[in-house]
Amino acid sequence: MSGIPSFHGFGLGLRRPHYSAFMAGDVPVDFVEIISENYMVDGGRPLAVLDAVRAHYPVAMHGVSLSVGSAHGIDREYLGRLKALADRIEPLWMSDHLCWTRTSAHNSHDLLPLPYTAEALDVVCANLARAQDVLGREMLLENPSSYCSFPDEEMAEWEFLAEVSRRTGCYLLLDVNNVYVSAHNHGFAADDFLTGIPMERVRQIHLAGHTPGAILIDTHDREVCDDVWALYAKAIAMTGPVATMIERDDAIPPLPELLAELDVARGIAAGAARRAA
Amino acid sequence: MSLAALQQEFMDHVLDEERPLPQHWDARMGEGLAIYRNAYRARLVDALRETFSKTALWTGDEAFAQAAAHHLILHPPRGWTLDLVGDGFVETLEELFAADPDVADLAWLEWAMHLAFTAPDCAPMDAARFAEATSDFGEEDWATMRLPFVPSLHVRVVSSDCGALWQALEREESPTTAPQAEAPLHCIVWREGLDPVFALIPARDGNSLAAMRAGSSFGEVCAMLAEELPADQAAAEAGAMLGGWIGRGIVLGLSSSSPVTG
Repeated sequence: MSGIPSFHGFGLGLRRPHYSAFMAGDVPVDFVEIISENYMVDGGRPLAVLDAVRAHYPVAMHGVSLSVGSAHGIDREYLGRLKALADRIEPLWMSDHLCWTRTSAHNSHDLLPLPYTAEALDVVCANLARAQDVLGREMLLENPSSYCSFPDEEMAEWEFLAEVSRRTGCYLLLDVNNVYVSAHNHGFAADDFLTGIPMERVRQIHLAGHTPGAILIDTHDREVCDDVWALYAKAIAMTGPVATMIERDDAIPPLPELLAELDVARGIAAGAARRAA
Repeated sequence: MSLAALQQEFMDHVLDEERPLPQHWDARMGEGLAIYRNAYRARLVDALRETFSKTALWTGDEAFAQAAAHHLILHPPRGWTLDLVGDGFVETLEELFAADPDVADLAWLEWAMHLAFTAPDCAPMDAARFAEATSDFGEEDWATMRLPFVPSLHVRVVSSDCGALWQALEREESPTTAPQAEAPLHCIVWREGLDPVFALIPARDGNSLAAMRAGSSFGEVCAMLAEELPADQAAAEAGAMLGGWIGRGIVLGLSSSSPVTG
């Protein structure tokens, strides 16, 4: 495997209300991120849309069903379809989450939390190594939001991620909103997370909104809040220029609103670059 | 607790809110689990509501939500794709709405269109290609001809005019009774280009299509028709049906040997 070169730019997720604008190449972004599973189909309109979008933009593939933390291993049929899609669109990179989604019998279709233990670390590394072997490339692993943690955990999330990256050679997708949400929910310092992961392995940053409350919930249904922008400023100063995108999966606004939000990210990243220079 | 055991325990709690927490999981764990459980249910019910949007309109949202919850308890999803969460939901509705078969007919139509939407791409055989391919056919060739059909094709016997109901709901009308079919019909669904489409066809046409789809030869279908119709009429009917299938773009090609199932 040859590594994933840095790609600097600002992107948005490809969502149904905005298909026509992206297919026409009218959206001023540097890359587009897709939810891989939405296009892991046999044929029809989804792939036709994706091919048209790919003709205009580099595409990052972001998955939700790899289940890299599953004690029962990786689904071979899933991996095959994932690889077929990658072969078709030649993505910038492929990412998924540090989580599990299924047991041998059931699939939750949710990003369920892992216990940060030595056993889970071995499982994640074995599953990820297998996935990367089949896909023929390193993946990006994203830190998820989580709403509960387990007794008897043996390391912090950032230590776990850093070790997975060290052992498997994977890169990282740093979701700044997820750091903020999990820091609040579990009572750790977001700065500890940022200083605890190997920033040189970060190839993409996610930004999103969450639902406030006693337990914060990662809902992707509203704009990025000020605290998350502040955390992004710290993160981008540490990573240097890195691909950044805004995730919006519910209450999806018109494109101009998302592009205006993306401009905020551009401004923060430019400020960090100026200070670094 | 091993990782496998922990994940099984966690999943059991996602699926069953009444399951008592293990002793070493505290109340805070219970709060977090409730968030995952609620998200699981909401996501899956939303997926069913999106796939079966017209069925939800027809049954009413509350009845649909109850049916969806019932289905998900009995058939929690197994596969990796949310697209197939509706697998088996038509059968669930057949049981729950046994006195109203129009509900399952409409749900079947929506499910078949959902599947057709992402079926493999293919180039159906048009009339010109068919004429060319059969230009030197003799009697035996016609008798042994079998037809592979496009992979997006789905066929079902319906007792209500689910097509008319689908169209009324598409126009945002609020029909109070299901349009009844005067005689049993077959509903067929396939994809034209990128768009799923449907048609209701008479029982004789539908039975013939179902037989050919199951691997019968054209000669066998003609013989089936000859049991119901005079010989010349049966031949004309078979030819008309064949022309209709080709005209609709549901015939993929020709085969004369091994049965084709689908």
